[in-house]
Amino acid sequence: MTKTIKLDHLTKIEGHASLTVKIRNGKVERCDLGSTEGSRYFEGIVRGRQFHEAPELTSRICGICSCAHTLASAFAMENALHVQVSEQTMTLRKLLNWGERIRSHATHLYFLSLPDFLGYESALAMLPKYKKEITTALQIMKIGNQLVSVVGGRDLHPVSAQIGGFLTLPKQEQLDDLTAQLKACRPLAQKTVSLFASLRYPRFERELANFSVYHEKEYAMLTGVIRTGKKDYPIRKYHDYLKEYHERDSTANFVVKAGKEYRVGALARVNTSKDLLAPAAKRAAATWFPSQNPFHTNYAQAVELLHAIETCISILETLELKPEPPRRADLKSGHGIAAIEAPRGTLWHEYLVKDRKIVYCNIITPTAQNLRSMQEDIRAFLPRILTQSQQEIIDSIEKLIRAYDPCFSCSSHFLDVTWV
Amino acid sequence: MTKLKVGFYGITGCAGCQLSVIFQEDDLLDLLELVEIRAWPFIKDVNDDETFDYVFMEGLVATNEDKERLLKIRKNTKILIALGACAHTGCVPAYRHFTLQKNYAHLLYEKNKNISDVQPSPIDSFVQVDYVIPGCPPSKQEIRTFLKTVVLGNIPKSYDNPVCTECKLHNNGCLLEVKKPCLGPITRGGCNAICINGGLECWGCRGPTDDANLPVMVTILRKQGHGLKFIKDRLVTFAGTKMPAVRKLVYDKNNKA
Repeated sequence: MTKTIKLDHLTKIEGHASLTVKIRNGKVERCDLGSTEGSRYFEGIVRGRQFHEAPELTSRICGICSCAHTLASAFAMENALHVQVSEQTMTLRKLLNWGERIRSHATHLYFLSLPDFLGYESALAMLPKYKKEITTALQIMKIGNQLVSVVGGRDLHPVSAQIGGFLTLPKQEQLDDLTAQLKACRPLAQKTVSLFASLRYPRFERELANFSVYHEKEYAMLTGVIRTGKKDYPIRKYHDYLKEYHERDSTANFVVKAGKEYRVGALARVNTSKDLLAPAAKRAAATWFPSQNPFHTNYAQAVELLHAIETCISILETLELKPEPPRRADLKSGHGIAAIEAPRGTLWHEYLVKDRKIVYCNIITPTAQNLRSMQEDIRAFLPRILTQSQQEIIDSIEKLIRAYDPCFSCSSHFLDVTWV
Repeated sequence: MTKLKVGFYGITGCAGCQLSVIFQEDDLLDLLELVEIRAWPFIKDVNDDETFDYVFMEGLVATNEDKERLLKIRKNTKILIALGACAHTGCVPAYRHFTLQKNYAHLLYEKNKNISDVQPSPIDSFVQVDYVIPGCPPSKQEIRTFLKTVVLGNIPKSYDNPVCTECKLHNNGCLLEVKKPCLGPITRGGCNAICINGGLECWGCRGPTDDANLPVMVTILRKQGHGLKFIKDRLVTFAGTKMPAVRKLVYDKNNKA
């Protein structure tokens, strides 16, 4: 007996994706997950442009993680042209990155994921019974947006974070206001952790390598090395250990390490760096991680949310800004690579600059790296749920895909994206 | 009073415009009370796409599937709104029209016949668009005002003053005077000059004003010492599809796209 499941428009995810599954005699014969988003060829678009235009242009790859693209391209350009940024710039970049992670996780947790677990079609449908939870979500999203807005000048596609530093700096009263609001947000983050700890996650584990930026002194963020398994790898040598490839008849692009899929994102980060979490978040993570259950990505995001709020409060409490224009690049040519942690995982930007012009660009997004893991997870998960009705199977698979918090807008700008 | 039936959709894009709606924060729930949300695939599972009064469309047409979806939605809605720069002008992805093919040829998927790439285009290349909420990203304030206006049965007005008007109201110094390639004088405002407030010159994401004086803009930028290729690239980055005059003005044999 053959059963084919084809989902043409997956909902409640960023971007557009489809899934085709074929089951014959209780065996999964085919399982293809891919993006149906149109390709935008950003890596081609930036070619021939001036190097300093890269952050503005690549920010447009993604709305929800526009800060991550802005920062990754700034770091890569600074590496290429030997620009040393100040400690103050690094601190502000951290705030920008955390602000983005706060609003992104809150959006995913409450608007895209929670309805699945509570049996609703959407957060809007939950309103009559769960208005308090949705209001909590909106308040957390607001503080994340405000962080980005105060530091970056705008909440989507920030304007003041550039290569070398910041074009304008926040005022002290804005920073004080942020601190007060973040403190008021603490209990909401705690509530989020309790809520997502109380959900019933399907029992499903698959051994996968965690993969994230790692720094021995601070939780996975903007600098350090790549840690996967027990080994560390230098970021600038990623061509040696990562491989991007198309599969002719399959759909999306895949990224593998030594021929194998790996996991990026909140779960990989908490698994790898949980000892570096702020005390409250560390307590919340203690009995849960390390975990090999992809559904636990939700809880890992809740833990990161709490950590982000604690971290931003401690940064802001001691922050005193002094005027400082962005540092200029002395070199005109060079080659630079950067990897940072975006909300959904490790984000890579690489540029080759000749005489101020971009001649080559390569970008690897978190979702592109997770695609194969997601697909293999679905393949492994399916046999357990085959006795369920078709609708139940679809619901379960969608829940698994959403747990990864994929961003198909991001993943598909770059590589192969058809469906059969 | 029956509520307006509203849909939010996205075709190829970055989801940022739909997020500008979701990120209404304190106002979101009140705004959503005013209308009946019939479809919003980004955050809803059940999407009844039969009939709408208003559909807000994010994104540009980059595949045949985008095009089909757009045509179907146009048939099902009384009013179609281009939400954000991709829908309005094609935004940065449509800059591909103006760049050399060799820049992106290596990214095309010639091996795979199933890929139905089309030239990236704003939605008005295929369907009638009734209103535009411009910008990358669109202003959250403008989205709120638009919704409230149509709920009250009024006709939304578009803003056609250049960015400079609002920039002056914010007491910003003129970036052109410090030789930054600011497109504020020819770009439609309504954004509160948010980029210039943050220290960044205007890139023209909201498209040109009706009376944009391109030749003078180019002359000013040339006088500042910016090269022709750089000027051309900037002018067409966000709204090249809405500036046919730009081709005549700055493209010559040496700068051919």
